[in-house]
Amino acid sequence: MGKIHAMMDMGKRAMMNSQTALQTVSHNIANKTTEGYSRQRVEQVTAPAISEGNLRLGTGSRAAQVTRINNPFIDKQLQGANREMGFLNARSETMGRIEQVFNEQQNKSLNQYVSDFFNSFRELSNNPESTTIRTIVKESAEALTKDFRRVEGQLETIRRDIDFQLDARVGEINRYSGEIAELNQKIASVEIQNAPANDERDRRDLILKKLNELIDVNVAEGDAGMINVSTAGNALLVTGFSKTELTAKVDPSTGKTEIYAVGQAGAHDIKITERIKSGVTGGLLSVRDKVITEVRDRMDNLAFTLGNEVNRAHVLGYDRNGREGVAFFETSPNRAGAARSLQLNELIANDVGRIAAGAKDGSPGDNTVANVISRIQYKQVFDNGAATMDDYYNAQVGRIGVVANQANKQVETQGNIVKQIEKLRESVAGVSLDEEATKMIEFQKSFDASARLIRVADEMFDTVLNLKRM
Amino acid sequence: MRVTDRMNFDQVHQNLQKNRTDMAELQNQAASQKRLNKPSDDPVGAARVLATRSEDRGLSQFVKNIHQARGFLDMTDQSLNEMSDLLVRAKELAVQQANDAGANAETRQVAALEVAQTFSQAVQIGNRKLGERYIFGGFKTTTAPFNQAGDYHGDDGDMNVLINKDAEVAMNLPGSRVFGGQGISADGHLRANTDTPKSAEDLREYQRANERRARELEERRDEPVRLRAPASTGPLPQGQVETVLDETQDGINVFRVLKSFEIALRTNDKEEIQVAIDDIDRALNQVIQGRAQVGARVQTLNQTQESLQKSLVDNKALQSQIEDADLFQTVSDITKTDSTLRASLETSGRLVQKSLLDFLR
Repeated sequence: MGKIHAMMDMGKRAMMNSQTALQTVSHNIANKTTEGYSRQRVEQVTAPAISEGNLRLGTGSRAAQVTRINNPFIDKQLQGANREMGFLNARSETMGRIEQVFNEQQNKSLNQYVSDFFNSFRELSNNPESTTIRTIVKESAEALTKDFRRVEGQLETIRRDIDFQLDARVGEINRYSGEIAELNQKIASVEIQNAPANDERDRRDLILKKLNELIDVNVAEGDAGMINVSTAGNALLVTGFSKTELTAKVDPSTGKTEIYAVGQAGAHDIKITERIKSGVTGGLLSVRDKVITEVRDRMDNLAFTLGNEVNRAHVLGYDRNGREGVAFFETSPNRAGAARSLQLNELIANDVGRIAAGAKDGSPGDNTVANVISRIQYKQVFDNGAATMDDYYNAQVGRIGVVANQANKQVETQGNIVKQIEKLRESVAGVSLDEEATKMIEFQKSFDASARLIRVADEMFDTVLNLKRM
Repeated sequence: MRVTDRMNFDQVHQNLQKNRTDMAELQNQAASQKRLNKPSDDPVGAARVLATRSEDRGLSQFVKNIHQARGFLDMTDQSLNEMSDLLVRAKELAVQQANDAGANAETRQVAALEVAQTFSQAVQIGNRKLGERYIFGGFKTTTAPFNQAGDYHGDDGDMNVLINKDAEVAMNLPGSRVFGGQGISADGHLRANTDTPKSAEDLREYQRANERRARELEERRDEPVRLRAPASTGPLPQGQVETVLDETQDGINVFRVLKSFEIALRTNDKEEIQVAIDDIDRALNQVIQGRAQVGARVQTLNQTQESLQKSLVDNKALQSQIEDADLFQTVSDITKTDSTLRASLETSGRLVQKSLLDFLR
């Protein structure tokens, strides 16, 4: 009888095991599309055998553990690739916007306005007496200064947008840090009972991946399955159960948004902006602090030089009524901010007769100064006399194109790398419906078989119980 | 390799996305006919396109300048032509009236009337306008350069216009030079400054030189013009200045020549009429030289225009080469991409629909 009991018991436990396995299969199928999910398996082990004399009898199986199938090394690689991807994506996106500011394939832009401006002086030299042409000179000068302001304004808008994005990204980073701290706690409390916290670990890996996409991340494994996360050198984000928030604040001295980490107790917050080198924030910062700053410097230089060169010739001239020439442009005394402040002199804007075309007073037909000014376009006044205004500007557009082009190409390459690694991860940890279907049949069959076993045992019981009636 | 469903779906998604991106790019090229739609498409090309565009605008402006200058010079040429006709007629008169064979005091009086008429015609030519501008006034284009007495009130400015990046042509002849005879001699310092300033630094120097020249001209203008009339003063002693102006210094003043010829006729001064023949000849020469100069400039303009137009075409070709899409290439690429897209759609359909579950019944 004992054997029949054992059979029945074994059948019952086998049925339960099959159910456990089938539950895991359904968990896998249900999470087939869950981001970051790793397929799970029930690890079956044989139940402890018993000895009967010199026989060693097995007692069936038991479900030892539900484990996830993944490769931590691939996850690490994926996190690193994503960090680079975030950086490049942010850079390429922002460069795309900057490039549009200078895109003359579709719109009129500075290159044309500069030519138009100098051409208006050439036209003026044909007919310095004409008020109409003087008006054209005025209009073209105003269009030029307006376009300088447009470029400057659009660059400023992009910069402010980057600041805004940084602010939002820091919020995201803090949310992720919070979630990691929470998951740390859950994992620790689950794993203290020696059962792996599969779903929580999957989730934590996913959050880490996302965090990596945003900013530089260093991860250190701690006790009880917890991890410590720090960024930008040694600014702590997560230590065990607790998180430390980053803050994004506008630095009043520069007007830019900077990122701060909480310092030691009582100490000031530490600015970590310069130390952020990767992720979306790194990409945004690299464009904001390097590319945009450089482009604006160059625009300022262009406006400053243009304004001063024109003024230098113009003040030596005489206007239509024999008055000495005034400054043609109102320029700022400093190079910085020159593009924004370049403006046609109010006197000329109000009276085009004040445009000084001639080098002599009382000579309305004198076009000497107009000629000199129109020659400035072909004068090499930039890069220590190596480049004309056009060269300088065109080179600038070319440079932006190169950076944008590189960023786009790198995004493509890096995108392929990320996809490749994701594929690798998917290959190891992803759910295959075919596989799950097979498993399903397998466990269903063993469930059936176990049930049959119980029926057989039941029949055997009946047989035994019916012995005396026979 | 273990292949999971997600991988299949990702693969399909990725492939279709790539094909669609390629297609969109090509479609854009076909629609805009441009290979270069933003600087990052071809950074070097983008910079070069910009350069060709400003080149194009510059060249077109130079062509415009040339048209303008040619208008001015044509007008000048025509006026000088009329002036030389007048002088030829004056010379005819002078030759007729120089001896007593076919002329006498009466005919000389009649001729004097004609010469007076010629004089005022000459003044009119000197005050000729193109549009609102006096063409012989130098830089002083808004006031009449000559008064009725033939005195010059303009200056000797040359209106240089840029006809190429580094080439300038003066589009006018100041009346002081072509009619007044000032500043066309070989002695240099009265000649118009042909070195026009190229920069603000030059400008200052140029202005100083100009002032110096204006002063010298002013001094010269104050020197009394020698008129050998009326004839009652008698012939000049031997060795004295015979001509209206010192020929080593300057050319000859057309108006003064005509004026003194008229006076000679009126006063029936045969010797002076004789002198006038020579002077008129010199004046005629001077005007013809002016025309020659104008002709040479027009020639320069024509040649420059030709080369500019050639550069314009070359430049356009270069620009097109850089930024325009090769239509045949684009269309053939579209066809290729289209068939790739079709193929991946078809295979994708097969790839995603089947799983083991479909066969378990």
